[in-house]
Amino acid sequence: MSPRIWSVKGLTKAAAVVALLMASGAAASAQQAYRFGLAMPLTGSQALYGQDQVKAAQWAVDEINKAGGINGKKLEMIVLDTQADPQIGIQAVNRLISVEKVPAFITAWSGVVKAVAPIANDNKVVELSVGANSPDIATLGDYVYTTFPLADIDIRAVANYAATKMGKKKAAIVFINADTGTAAAEVYKKVFTAAGGQVVAYEAYDPKATDFTGQLLKVRAANPDMIHLQGLVSDTPQVIAQMRQLGLTQPVSSYSAAYNPKLVQQLGAAAEGVIATSLAPGVADSDKVKDYVARWVKEVGREPNGLPYTEYLYDAPYMVADIFKALDSKKLPPTGENFRKEMLAQGAFKLPLTGNTKLGADHTVVKPVYLMEVKGGKWTKKAVVGE
Amino acid sequence: MLNATILLQILWTSLATSSYYVLFAVAFALVLKVTRIFNFAQAAIMTVAFYSAFVTVQWLEWPAWAAFIVMMAITLAASFALERIGFEALRKRGVSVMFVFVFTFMVSEFVAYLAMLAFGTWPQTIFPTIFWPVTLVGNIAVSAWDLPAIGATIAMLALLFSFMRFTRMGQFMVGVADNPDLAELYGVNKRQIFLVAVLMAGALVAVGMFLYGTRAQVLPQTGLSLMLFAIAATIIGGIGNIAGAAIAAIILGVIQNSSILVIPSEWQGLLLYVFLFLAIVFFPNGLRLPRRRRRFATATRDIGGSKDASAAEGQV
Amino acid sequence: MEYVDGIIIIVGLYVILATSFNLIIGYGGLVSIAHPVFFALGAYTSAILARNFGVPVPLAMVAGMIVALVASVALVLPTLRVSGDYLLIASIGFQLGVLEIIKNVRFTGGAGGYTNIPPFLIRDFGRESYVALVLVVMVAVILLVRLVARSDYGRAMSAMRDDELAFASVGRNAMWMKLAIFGLGSGLAGLAGALYAHYFRFITPEQFEILQSSAILTMVVVGGMRTTWGPIVGALLLEALPQAITFLNLPPSVLGPIQGLLFTGLVLVFMFFRPQGLVPAENVWRGGEETR
Repeated sequence: MSPRIWSVKGLTKAAAVVALLMASGAAASAQQAYRFGLAMPLTGSQALYGQDQVKAAQWAVDEINKAGGINGKKLEMIVLDTQADPQIGIQAVNRLISVEKVPAFITAWSGVVKAVAPIANDNKVVELSVGANSPDIATLGDYVYTTFPLADIDIRAVANYAATKMGKKKAAIVFINADTGTAAAEVYKKVFTAAGGQVVAYEAYDPKATDFTGQLLKVRAANPDMIHLQGLVSDTPQVIAQMRQLGLTQPVSSYSAAYNPKLVQQLGAAAEGVIATSLAPGVADSDKVKDYVARWVKEVGREPNGLPYTEYLYDAPYMVADIFKALDSKKLPPTGENFRKEMLAQGAFKLPLTGNTKLGADHTVVKPVYLMEVKGGKWTKKAVVGE
Repeated sequence: MLNATILLQILWTSLATSSYYVLFAVAFALVLKVTRIFNFAQAAIMTVAFYSAFVTVQWLEWPAWAAFIVMMAITLAASFALERIGFEALRKRGVSVMFVFVFTFMVSEFVAYLAMLAFGTWPQTIFPTIFWPVTLVGNIAVSAWDLPAIGATIAMLALLFSFMRFTRMGQFMVGVADNPDLAELYGVNKRQIFLVAVLMAGALVAVGMFLYGTRAQVLPQTGLSLMLFAIAATIIGGIGNIAGAAIAAIILGVIQNSSILVIPSEWQGLLLYVFLFLAIVFFPNGLRLPRRRRRFATATRDIGGSKDASAAEGQV
Repeated sequence: MEYVDGIIIIVGLYVILATSFNLIIGYGGLVSIAHPVFFALGAYTSAILARNFGVPVPLAMVAGMIVALVASVALVLPTLRVSGDYLLIASIGFQLGVLEIIKNVRFTGGAGGYTNIPPFLIRDFGRESYVALVLVVMVAVILLVRLVARSDYGRAMSAMRDDELAFASVGRNAMWMKLAIFGLGSGLAGLAGALYAHYFRFITPEQFEILQSSAILTMVVVGGMRTTWGPIVGALLLEALPQAITFLNLPPSVLGPIQGLLFTGLVLVFMFFRPQGLVPAENVWRGGEETR
């Protein structure tokens, strides 16, 4: 070994290498990543939806980065757990804002969306609600926006459709006595009556109930020609089963909670004719969705839970990326304020799975509603409203 | 609104659906009567029962009767473990009511979380379908589920009743329920009786969950929600009164369902709590309170059945 | 920063809840699970008075505390005449029943929750002032409960707990004492609720469910009943631990149920091997002295 390692030449070479490394390191850190947050239920009772939604978003982020990221810079998504609980959601968002310092974050589940709204507004960080549908989300503040249509959109569509296209004159509304149920039931009533129909029965049921005979008998006595059911995944099948068993043969409409393949399996022939809404295109409507679902089946071994919601979560990073790209080109720092300004300036976004999305100044978004019907034991598209 | 058909229909369906409630209430009341324990861990047994049936039918794809046997076996094993490992240890230490409550409550939560881990949180049923064919009797819709449910319940109750009335062990059980230490002095094996009581309760719960899970969807937390009804029925029916618990379960079920005809549907859920509260406030004087000890199965100190004594005995 | 402030406040509030619950079940020996409902009553009362009726926040908070206190007395009065076991069942019914009412009634916002609760102190004095407020209240509550437990009153409670018959026979009235303890403990829970409401400014019934009961119970049991530090340790553990775990990046698919398993399992393990809890008191679980 030469004792003359430390010759001038060697040192100069070493210095050059070090300088180069430092420069590239500096360049790498100058290439800052664009970061945003995702606060979803990763654990708890809603995790079966939340985790699929997170996976969809992660796929999108990976695709975006593969395609060059944000003008060459990386798009980074920081995922935190909310358990769909308002309190835990608050802590997650606090962390995203104070510790991770993101200019925008995505979240879902109405309780969480509402709970973290004050934080987003106070800190001027954009909150994107993707999936929650409570109508009061539109009034939560300057920095709270939704890319998912709020409850009135799909209920309005199905109520109008029943009154106008299906020619129904007397509707009965059966709903779960909880937030989703009561809000949507009111919307249905308003829209149906405005379209010239009459609501002949308006019955709520307790979330813990398993027997709905009383309510259904009242409905039967009122003799409707259409029944709208607004329940949850856990009770919708029972309600419909008992409806049929009590001799209620009228067509039943519901919303996205009914739109799942298990319903058909659980109800068998009794599922025929059930109408549900979906706020995202199905496999038959778009090739991209078809490929998306095929990828799920291939990589995960099943279809995603709550397919429409996962589609929205797949699209959300694309929207965020578009805004970041614009900010990057304009050399504006990615602060919450700038994010919001740019988002409103662009207004309309072309998203891969759910199509065109236009953010309204009233903090709502209007999307086409897909009405799906069970025909021959399968969910088929019946109509599209508002395209 | 109150025409005969509607009333009869509600009565019939309530009767049928009260079947599982009766079984849960009787199981709870039985354990309470014999062992003096408010067995909140029954929710855990219920969860175990359901998911063992679910796994057998939907994952292993065995026929229903095989699933029933498997479910019964596993439930009885769980009940055995609960009594021998759980309650017996608590008795040996002479613990208080509070301890037992926390213990049984936590066991139920623990099992609920285990179920969440193993089975996820999507609602499940035992059979893939919950739709049962319906026949019209007069104008009343009778589902193919109703009669077997009522039949199974009556059979279980009959078995229980004849056991307690006509077998020696059953009579020992009544004795132990009344005064465990005195019964022991007469040569009755207290330990065995406690075990039999808990096992029988487990059997009742298994049948109940089989009925429930073939008609409605179940989540890991469902056991705990169903317990409230069982507890309410037991209290209203009278502590120490198993038949009372059964009757209370039926009446509560019918009232809850038919109340829809007179009160707004939103308030239906509240009825149960109202009944519970009324029962506690107005009925206790008429109930036969068991002479509770502050500790489990310790030497007796008979203070008599007065109100003061029961107040003293009921504390932690 | 806001993240840490939020955590400190939550931990502080839970210390108040655990300490006041310890007063009720530990020192008072009253078997009840209806603590979250008083937390809720305090929160909702204060929030509604402040938002809908323009009542100044400090007054609204006090009102919240009073409402919780009165409600607790209403719960306990009829049941204590009968027997302690009934209190347990009644508390379950009360906890679930009142929450049902809150979920169904319009003016509480129903199941969707109550939003836009007026803030307090933060606009004028900054977030830290609220943190200070909560910490001050927390310390006051700890000292108060400690004072009560160590006073003559506390000795009387111990006597009542151990042998109520003897207690009655020397002329002390157990019922008034139980009412006082329950009222005080529940009132403090109500105060915690009011403090919660005006910081986080959004409350939903689901935050006060029976799951909270088991959480608070866990804090007291694992921390150590009938001690001053026990509930504090329990609250810290149960609130700080989940936050710490999230920094560990465990696979999310198992994290949730595992967390639940961890905590309930913890309680069960403690009950069997260290029933006194982390901070031991004497004779925590015994049914009472046997005079032979």
